[in-house]
Amino acid sequence: MATNKEMTGGAAGATVIGPTITINGKLSGDEDLTVRGRVEGEVTLTKTLFLEVSGVVKANVSVKNAVISGVVVGNVRATESVELTKEGRMVGDIAAPRVILVDGASFRGRIEMGDASVSRAAGDRVGRPARVSARPSAPPPRPPPPPRAEARGMANSKSTVTPILSKMESKSPPVPPALAGAGKRKVVVRKRER
Amino acid sequence: MMEREAEHMANTVIGSSIVIDGEISGEEDLVVQGTVKGKISLKESLFVEGSGIVEADIQTQNVEVAGKVTGNINASQKVELKSDCRVVGDIRAPRILIADGASFKGNVDMDAKGR
Repeated sequence: MATNKEMTGGAAGATVIGPTITINGKLSGDEDLTVRGRVEGEVTLTKTLFLEVSGVVKANVSVKNAVISGVVVGNVRATESVELTKEGRMVGDIAAPRVILVDGASFRGRIEMGDASVSRAAGDRVGRPARVSARPSAPPPRPPPPPRAEARGMANSKSTVTPILSKMESKSPPVPPALAGAGKRKVVVRKRER
Repeated sequence: MMEREAEHMANTVIGSSIVIDGEISGEEDLVVQGTVKGKISLKESLFVEGSGIVEADIQTQNVEVAGKVTGNINASQKVELKSDCRVVGDIRAPRILIADGASFKGNVDMDAKGR
C-alpha cells in the first residue's frame, strides 16, 4: 500500500541495483536500497530493503525493514519488519518483531518474532494442518460394514479356528474355491481382524 | 549534464551512504555516489560522481570520473576524467579525456591494437 509509494519515491534518490547487475560481496549503507538485480553475500542497511520482482538476493540480510517481492535465499534479520508480498519467494529464516506473509507468498524457513515462541510455532505449522487432517480421513474407509451381522456370527463360532484358516488362506488363496459361499464370508472376517 | 542525471535515475545507482565490498558486474550503466571496493565489470558505462569513491579494478565500455578512483581502469571506448576528480591507477582505453583540474597519477595507454 504505502510501500509502493515508498518504492518509487525511494528509487528516485536512493540506491538502485538494476536488473542486469550482479553484486558479489558485502553491501552496507544508511539509505534505502532497491534491488532489481542480483546480490550475493551480505547486505547490511539501517533503512529499508526493497527487493523487487526481478531481484534475487542470496545473502544474509540485516536491515530495518525488508519488503520482498523477489527471491531471497538466506536469513533476513530486521529491526522493524519483514514483508513477503504475493510475488515474494524466500528460503531462509526471518527474525523481526513484525513479519507479514501475504497470501501468495512462498516461504520456507523459521520465523522468529522475538518476544513469543508462539510466532515460531505458527510459522512451523503453516503447512501441517492439511496433512494432519488428511491422515485421520484415511483410516475410516477401512471397516467394511455391510455383511457385519453374518460375519460376526461366523467369527464367533469359529473364533479359535479362523486365525489359522486365515493364515492358511493368505498363504494359499486358491485353496477354498470348493467352499465358494463360505470363502466370501471368511474373507470379510480376515479383513476385520486386521 | 541534466540529461545525464535524468538518465542516471533509471539505472543502477549506488547511493552516497552505501558501501560495497566485492564484485559488481552487469550490462547496464552504473552510477556510484557511494563507495565500491573490489572489482567492477560492466558492458556499459560507469559514472563515478563527486561523492563517489571507487577502490577497484574497472572493466567497462565508458568511464566518467568526477570522484575518486584508485585502481586500474580498462575501457573499451572512452575514459573521461572530469575536473576535481582524483584518479590513481593505470588507464587503458582508445579515447582518454582529462579535464583541466583533474588529478591523475598512473600510466595511460591509448594503444587500440593492444585490445
